[in-house]
Amino acid sequence: MEVKDGKKPDIEPLNRFWPNYHQRAIFIAMVSQIVIILLVILIVLVFYPQPSIEAWAMMMVVAFIVLVTAAAVTNALLRPLRDLSAALVHSAGERSSVPPPNLNANYYKRMHLRPLLQQVLELASDQSEKRASEAEADEKTSTDGIPDIAAQLNHTATGIIMLNEKREVVYANKSAPIHIDGEGKKTMELIFDVDESIDQWLTDRGEHDIHAEKVWKRVANKLTGEADRRLYDVFVSYEKGSGVETIITLLDRTDEYQPEDDDLDFIAFAAHELRGPITVIRGYLDTLNDELEGTIDGDQKELFSRLIVSANRLSGYINNILNASRYDRRHLKVHLTEMTIADIYDTIADDMRMRAAAQQRLLSVQFPDGLPTVAADLNSMSEVLGNLIDNAIKYSNDGGSIEVTAGVSGDFVEVSVTDHGIGMPANVISNLFHKFYRSHRSRETVAGTGIGLYISKAIVESNGGKIGVRSVEGHGSTFTFSLPIYATVAEKLKSTGTNNQAFIEHSSSGWIKNHGAFRG
Amino acid sequence: MAIKTILVIEDDRFIGEMYVRSLKKAGYDVDWMVDGNDGLIAARNKPYDVMLLDVMLPERRGGEILQILRGGAEDLIPHTRVVVLTNFDQAEESRLAMEKNADAYLIKAEITPKKLLAVIDKLGQIGK
Repeated sequence: MEVKDGKKPDIEPLNRFWPNYHQRAIFIAMVSQIVIILLVILIVLVFYPQPSIEAWAMMMVVAFIVLVTAAAVTNALLRPLRDLSAALVHSAGERSSVPPPNLNANYYKRMHLRPLLQQVLELASDQSEKRASEAEADEKTSTDGIPDIAAQLNHTATGIIMLNEKREVVYANKSAPIHIDGEGKKTMELIFDVDESIDQWLTDRGEHDIHAEKVWKRVANKLTGEADRRLYDVFVSYEKGSGVETIITLLDRTDEYQPEDDDLDFIAFAAHELRGPITVIRGYLDTLNDELEGTIDGDQKELFSRLIVSANRLSGYINNILNASRYDRRHLKVHLTEMTIADIYDTIADDMRMRAAAQQRLLSVQFPDGLPTVAADLNSMSEVLGNLIDNAIKYSNDGGSIEVTAGVSGDFVEVSVTDHGIGMPANVISNLFHKFYRSHRSRETVAGTGIGLYISKAIVESNGGKIGVRSVEGHGSTFTFSLPIYATVAEKLKSTGTNNQAFIEHSSSGWIKNHGAFRG
Repeated sequence: MAIKTILVIEDDRFIGEMYVRSLKKAGYDVDWMVDGNDGLIAARNKPYDVMLLDVMLPERRGGEILQILRGGAEDLIPHTRVVVLTNFDQAEESRLAMEKNADAYLIKAEITPKKLLAVIDKLGQIGK
C-alpha cells in the first residue's frame, strides 16, 4: 500500500458510500413514485376530463402522502445497510456522519442483524490492525488510522493486565482474571504461593532491578474444586519508573493442564485408598512377627521378614506417589525442625536393616560424632534416605556393601549413600531425577516406578538442600544430599514462626518451599 | 502416672481392631468407639488416661471433639492424654489440633501396634 504524506490517494474512503447511496436510493424511490402518481393522474384525466378543484387538491394530498411514505419506507428499509456501512467505516477508523451502531439495540436483535455487524467489526479489526502496524512502520501516527487499542485488546483470548507503580490495576482486558469489588476496585484473581507471589517478586525487583521478566506456570485463578477455575501461564515484565511499571500477560492453558490435574487427583485418590489396607497389613505383620517369635522355624522366619520388607517397600512407594502428586499440585509441605542425621536414619533403621538382610546386602551406617544438627522435616527426609538406600540395594549385587555416611560441607551437612553395583553412564545421570525416568537397562532388569529420585529431589530441595550423584559404570554410584546446618538457619526459622513460611531462599525449585507442616 | 484406661475413637474397623487387640494384650483397659458422637459421650462419661482420636470420623470430626473437650474455658478432660491419629493428607489439620489441644499425634500409615505401644509407654513415663 502506497502511503504518501499521510494520505491514501489510491484508495477511496469508505465513508463516501453511504451518503451517496442513500441519496440515490431516496431519489430513485421518489422518481418512481412521481412517475406512478403522474400515470394515475393521467388515467383519472382520461375518465374525468374536467376534475373539480377539490379533486385536484385531494390528488395533491394523496401524492404528497405517497412521496413522504416512500421516502420514509426507503429510509427504514435501508437501515441495515446504513449500519453495516457505518460499522465498516468506524472500524476502519474513518470519520462518519452516522454514529457507530450500538450492538445491544433491540432493533438488531429483532432483525437478526447483530451477528452480521459483529462479524463485520471482527473482520474489520483484523484489517485495521494490519493498517495500524503499517502506519506505525511508516512512522505515520495519524490518529485516524490507528484503532482504539484498548478496545481491540478485548478481542484477544490472552489476558493483559497493567499495574502502576503502586501495583494498582490500571488496565485489564476482558480475558484477564480480574476481581472487581463493591467499590469498583480491580484486583488480580490469581492464586500464588505465599513466598512466590507476583507481589513478593515485584517488591524484590523494586529494590534491585530496573528491568526484569519472569514466567509463572500453571497459576490458577481459583482454588481446586471451584467453578470456572482456569489455569494460566503468567508472563510478567517489569520496567522501573515507566508509567505502567508492570505488564502481565496471561495465557489460558486450562485445556492443557486440566486433564493432567484430573489424572493427578485420581492418582492421589488411588494411592490414598491403598494406604488403609497396607497399614493394616504392616500392623498385623509386625504384631504376628512378635507373637510368633519362638514358635516358627528359621525358614518361616525368613518368609516373614520378606513379607514385612515387601509391605514396607510397598508403603514407601505409595508414599512416593502421594508425595509426587502433591508436589505436582503444589501441595507438598514441610515442617522444618532441629534434628540430627541419626534421628532421620533411626526412624527407618529397622526397616533398612531388614531390607538389606533380606536381599543379602551389607549395610553399614556410620555418622561421625559431633555432626552439627540440621533443619529438616523428619518424615519426608526419612523417606528420601529410605529411597536412596532402597535404590542402592536394587542396583547392587548379592553380597555387595552399601555405605551410608555424613560430613560437614560449608553450611550444610552432606549425607552420602554409596553402592558398588552396576553404576551408570554419564548420559543416564543427566536424566536421573526426572519423573518416570528409568535407564534402558534398568527397565529390563530391575523393578521400579522411576518416581523415587524425582520426589527425593523435590523433598530435599524443599528442605533447603541439594541432591546429586556420582557414578562410574560398572563400579557403583554415590548419591549425596545436603541439609542446612540448623545454626545457620535458626534465626530465620524462628522469625517465620511454626510454619517456616518463606524460609528457604536458595532452593532452586520455587514453589515447593515451606508452607507450614508437611508432617511431624 | 501409670496409664491404665484408654479410649480409642477410630471408625476404620480393621485399624481400630488392630490397635484395640494390641493394647488389650499389653494389659490396658480399652474402650473403642467408632463414631464421633459416641466417642465424645464416652470421653465425658469416664476419665480415661489416654484417648486415641482419629481426625476423620462420622458424626463429629476429631477436631470438633477436641474443641468441645478442651476448647472452652475449662478443660473437660484434665487427666487425659490425647493422641491424635491422622492420615497423611490431614497433616496440617491435625498438627494445628495438636498444637492447641492434643498431647501427641501420630500418622496412621506410619504406626504399627508395636510403635503405638512404645508411644503410649513413653507418654506414661513423661507423666502429665
